[in-house]
Amino acid sequence: MESTQTSAPPAALDYARPPVQRRLPLPRLQELGLLLVIFALWGTLAILAGGRFVNWGVQINYFKDTSIVAIMAVGMTAVIISGGIDLSVGSIYALAGVASAMVLQNPDPNSSMWAITLVGIATALAVAVGCGLINGIAVVGLKVHPFIITLGTMLVFRGVAFVATKARSIGNFPETFTDLARSNLGLHWLGVPRFVQPVPMLVMFAVTALGVMYLNAMVAGRHVYAVGGNLETARFSGLRTNGILVGVYVLVGLSAGVATTLANGIYGSASSARGVGYELRVIAAAVVGGASLSGGRGSAFGALLGALLIQLISQGISSLRIDQNYNDIIIGFAIVVAVVLDHVSRQLAERRLASAARVQAEPIEAAVETNESRSQGETR
Amino acid sequence: MSNAMKMVAVLLGSAMLLAAGCQDEEQQGEEIRIGLIAKSSNNPVFLAARAGAEARAAELSKEHGMNIVIDWQTPPTENAEEQANRINQLAASGADAIIVSASGAEAITPAIDSAVAQGVPVMMFDSDAPNSDRFAFYGVNDLQTGQNVIDALVGVIGDQGDVAILAGNQNAPNLQERVRGIRERVAAQYPNIRIVDVFYHVETPEDATDAVRRAMEANPQINGWAMVGGWPLFSDALVQDFKNRWPNVKIVAVDALPAQLVYVEQGVAPVLLAQKVYDWGYQSVDLTFRKLQGEDVPEINIMELVPVTPESLGEWAHQLQDWGFEDVPQRYLEMGAAGEGAATQAATAPATADGN
Repeated sequence: MESTQTSAPPAALDYARPPVQRRLPLPRLQELGLLLVIFALWGTLAILAGGRFVNWGVQINYFKDTSIVAIMAVGMTAVIISGGIDLSVGSIYALAGVASAMVLQNPDPNSSMWAITLVGIATALAVAVGCGLINGIAVVGLKVHPFIITLGTMLVFRGVAFVATKARSIGNFPETFTDLARSNLGLHWLGVPRFVQPVPMLVMFAVTALGVMYLNAMVAGRHVYAVGGNLETARFSGLRTNGILVGVYVLVGLSAGVATTLANGIYGSASSARGVGYELRVIAAAVVGGASLSGGRGSAFGALLGALLIQLISQGISSLRIDQNYNDIIIGFAIVVAVVLDHVSRQLAERRLASAARVQAEPIEAAVETNESRSQGETR
Repeated sequence: MSNAMKMVAVLLGSAMLLAAGCQDEEQQGEEIRIGLIAKSSNNPVFLAARAGAEARAAELSKEHGMNIVIDWQTPPTENAEEQANRINQLAASGADAIIVSASGAEAITPAIDSAVAQGVPVMMFDSDAPNSDRFAFYGVNDLQTGQNVIDALVGVIGDQGDVAILAGNQNAPNLQERVRGIRERVAAQYPNIRIVDVFYHVETPEDATDAVRRAMEANPQINGWAMVGGWPLFSDALVQDFKNRWPNVKIVAVDALPAQLVYVEQGVAPVLLAQKVYDWGYQSVDLTFRKLQGEDVPEINIMELVPVTPESLGEWAHQLQDWGFEDVPQRYLEMGAAGEGAATQAATAPATADGN
């Protein structure tokens, strides 16, 4: 099974130029397994919940509700592949959201709404990238474990958001901005209800596609695997590891900026309380999607599938009218089961590979021994 | 069979078993599904609201020969965006109506408006979203609540002295409104009452307790506390402080849940002003059902506060027990007569010290 995973190479040089077959990546076995689980669970819910589950509104809302976590999970996956972690992603999501909201709120009617909208979006992205840059530079420069660095910045970023907003909710954005996220994209002409909002879903797919391209088909993305697989090997191979590490924290920041821009549009307001606890949801999605917390392994597509699966379980609990109080128990259980099964299956695969390697090595060792015996005999 | 396939099989089997085992039994008759989204399922006051909603739904089902279902969709912790998502999901999945207590009014307003546009009426309780298209609100009038708190405190300590206000989160609009009610009432009617300060804190019993202690150390002249929420009283940590160190200082606070009743019993808080949390659900379901039947219902429905004093402690304890609270100390239950009479009397009692 290991051979089917996106895994760290024995040497970083393997990644300097992606092989042709990696440029157009197909879903790997684990991702296919997740896809199968999602389809099967979806089918089960469709049978059991019927119209409460199978309708346009529920389905598009399902993707919309997944989108925020999924987008950040793509960025988080890059960090996890590099061997790091970012606990501040929920706080970046909050800080960038309120910064953008401050630009967007109560627009002057004499100003260009499009200009305000663009500045608002740019503000969210710039603040989020800035936060990621701070994390990356601190991790590389201070040589402190990213868990500690981002634990600190998690508090700092949310604290700044709290102070800046005085804990108020900031809203009243221009419609030019909110309509971007809430647009029906003309689907009502196809019979889809007007309230259906597909934009978050499309952004989620676009971000995932970009993540897949970056991590699988670009040299810079392959370098992330190299660094996560073995930092020292990557360094001795000539990779600029510090730059790569800073880059992945910038990426997760950027993904939080995209997510919070969407959230501002969907919800029409932002507050410093936004995204409390989201870091764990995002990490859970990445890990369920196959990212290894020890680095070197994971994929953007897997992160999307992980987020979709977790949200589908939550959606199923709602559609089947299971008491919401059991929500966390069921999702927590599902996450642990998924990750443990994956871990066990990987260990079994490694054992099989090791065993196969031994079987292959035995005749060679025997031949070597025979040769040594012969040469010793000749010497005598 | 590969390991990945085994993983798939086990996960799928678990999911199907879970789904099959947990699915509600289909019931016969016309069904009305009302979504109920409170602020958090960790807060016992909202569990009481749920009990009230389910009780009224059962009564109405019996009266009208239909099946009214309460679909409890409350997030485990306060999260306005999660509430908005759940409103959207309820509306899309065919709920007939939705009842909400807003964790953040602005964040859920678009979702409420969208649900209403889809023909799903939305009602608010406890915490309103006044700029949305919701058809009604049921809860206390916060300005009047603040006035009631200071009126009750003056009734305890007299109309002169130094009063401190405990106010929780300094940016919660409903709490600010209560503080404004206190200030305006003092300015208008109690010239000899001096407000020492308004003390804010993180809304946990521990932080609130520390805030009260710090304030008392710094301002030993305080005669009374006007608490617009009863946060520190959820812990009994202050009982001994007030009895031994500050015996002449009295508290009046909003809310009277089981853990807070010890302050009434010990005379530290001679009056607690209780919100009828069970009625949040009970009355909201009643109003929503009437709306669904085509009746006109009032947009703003004010809940009166219930004064809980040492004399009414037993009665109130029974009321809490009837509402589904399982942690009411037995000694309070033994104080008053059990039964329907006590519950009805407490639930319909007028608000205390209403100066209007």
